[in-house]
Order: sequence, then structure tokens, then C-alpha cells
Amino acid sequence: MGILADLVKYLGILFVGALIGYNDVIKGKIADNLDIIQDICLLFLLFTMGITIGLDDEVVNNLFSIGFKALIMSLFTITFSIIFVRLIKKFVYVKENKDEH
Amino acid sequence: MSIKIFASVILGALAGFFIVPVEIAGSLGMIADIGLMVLLFFVGIDIGKQKDILDTIKNMGMRILLVPLFVIIGSVVGGMLAGIVLSIPINEAGALGSGLGWYTLSATILSREGFITLSALAFLSNVFREVIGLVIIPFIAKKLGYLEAVAVGGATSMDTSLPVIASSTDGETAIIAFVSGVICTSSVPIILPIILKIGA
Repeated sequence: MGILADLVKYLGILFVGALIGYNDVIKGKIADNLDIIQDICLLFLLFTMGITIGLDDEVVNNLFSIGFKALIMSLFTITFSIIFVRLIKKFVYVKENKDEH
Repeated sequence: MSIKIFASVILGALAGFFIVPVEIAGSLGMIADIGLMVLLFFVGIDIGKQKDILDTIKNMGMRILLVPLFVIIGSVVGGMLAGIVLSIPINEAGALGSGLGWYTLSATILSREGFITLSALAFLSNVFREVIGLVIIPFIAKKLGYLEAVAVGGATSMDTSLPVIASSTDGETAIIAFVSGVICTSSVPIILPIILKIGA
């Protein structure tokens, strides 16, 4: 249980949302304001995440070291995404690169 | 929007540090869980609305799916290697990589599961990925190639980095970027918990 149960829950919600979006169930005012509702949820969520971080002494005391680690982490993920996509590049654009003439 | 995002996190952190009593922490998890479910529901609606995405995949062939697949593998591998350098446990480092630049989701999942430091790291590393990405995408597109520019975006290539990718590459690449972004985005709530669970 725990995190894997959450996984099923997240996936289920994502799927139900996708079905509703695909079938245009939500119409009118709510549909027009989906972005706003989404933004409010997001900002609220980030606010509660901020509180959790602010309450945690370990994070507060190590903010700079966390920032440094985050920078290294992001450089690695970007670099290796590029490297791996480069490996399959020739399979994706079939027409362009080779068959110009 | 980016300013609002930063302001929310910083205001929350200040509130947590100065005002909110520690006893609240437990109920915060439940509130965050509800917020996360509502957010995922709306992201699902957004994804569902993109009806032509299935047609695009059909027209361009299944090979278009190779792009997000290898973006994800690259990101997770990159995260794990960074974890070795920074001595972060490999499953936690891989989970950070699997955030794919979607900082709000990866950070909230981790904070909900009780990984507070990791959550802060996920937030910042994915914010950095998005910001660095926005800056280097035009350069990568020019020097390395269009598909490499899509790789940089990760999950953000369906929204925040899409305009930059579209303006620095061509129409076909913009479509690939969008499809890749949608698949990367959908993969975060699936892959992150699985990687975190492995070896935990």
C-alpha cells in the first residue's frame, strides 16, 4: 500500500479527467474558467508545500546545499535526455535527413 | 504565473517557518492530497481535450513515441548519475529525474509521501530544468538539432517550453514536442512512485 496505492489513485483521476475532457462533458462557464480553477488549485498546493518546507528544520538549515544539488541534478537530467534522444533521432525523422535527393 | 508560483511557495515557507504550529503538519498532508487530486483531474481534462493527438500519433507512426520514451529514460538515468555524484540514494535520485521538469507534481507527490528534503530538491531541480531549458532550447536547436531541443523540455514541452521550441524549430518538431510533452506529463505520476519504491 502507500505510494503504489497513491499511484493507482493518481492514474485513475487523470484517466477520469481525460475521459471527461475527451467527451466535452464540462461546458459553459466552468469550461471557460478551467484554467483559473487549475491555477488556484496549483497555487494553493504550492502554498501548502511551502508550509511543509518551512516547518522542516532540515530543509531550512540546508537551503543552499539543496539549491546546489538541485542545479547539478537539473544539468544531468537535461544532458542525458539530450544524449538518449540523440540515439534514436534517425528513427524519428525518416523523410528529412536522408532522402533529400 | 511564474511569479505567482514562486510567491506561493515562499509565502508558504515563511508561514511554515514563522506562523504555522508544527502540529498542523499531519493535516497538511491530507489537504495537499485533496489539492493534488483536484489538480490531476483538471490536467486530465486538458489532456483529454487534445483529441487530434491520437491522429497525430497515427499519422506520424508509433516512432514518435520513441521521443518521450527516451526523454524519460535519459532523465531518470541522468538523475541517478547525479545521485551518485551527490551521494543521494539511487531510487530517490531517479525519482527526482523522473519529475521531467514538472516541478509542481513531483514536489507535491514527494512531500505527501513524507520526503520533505527530497521534495524541496525536486521542486528546485525541476524549476531549474524548466528555466535552463527555456534559455538553452534555441541554442540547442541550432547547434545540436531539433529533436534534442524537444528533449530539453521534458514534460514542459506541451506547455511552457512549447512556444520556444516552436519558434526555434519547425512545424513537425513542434507537434512531436507537444505529443512528447503530453506523454511525459502523464508519465510523471506513474513513474515517479514506481522508481521511488524500487530499492526503498
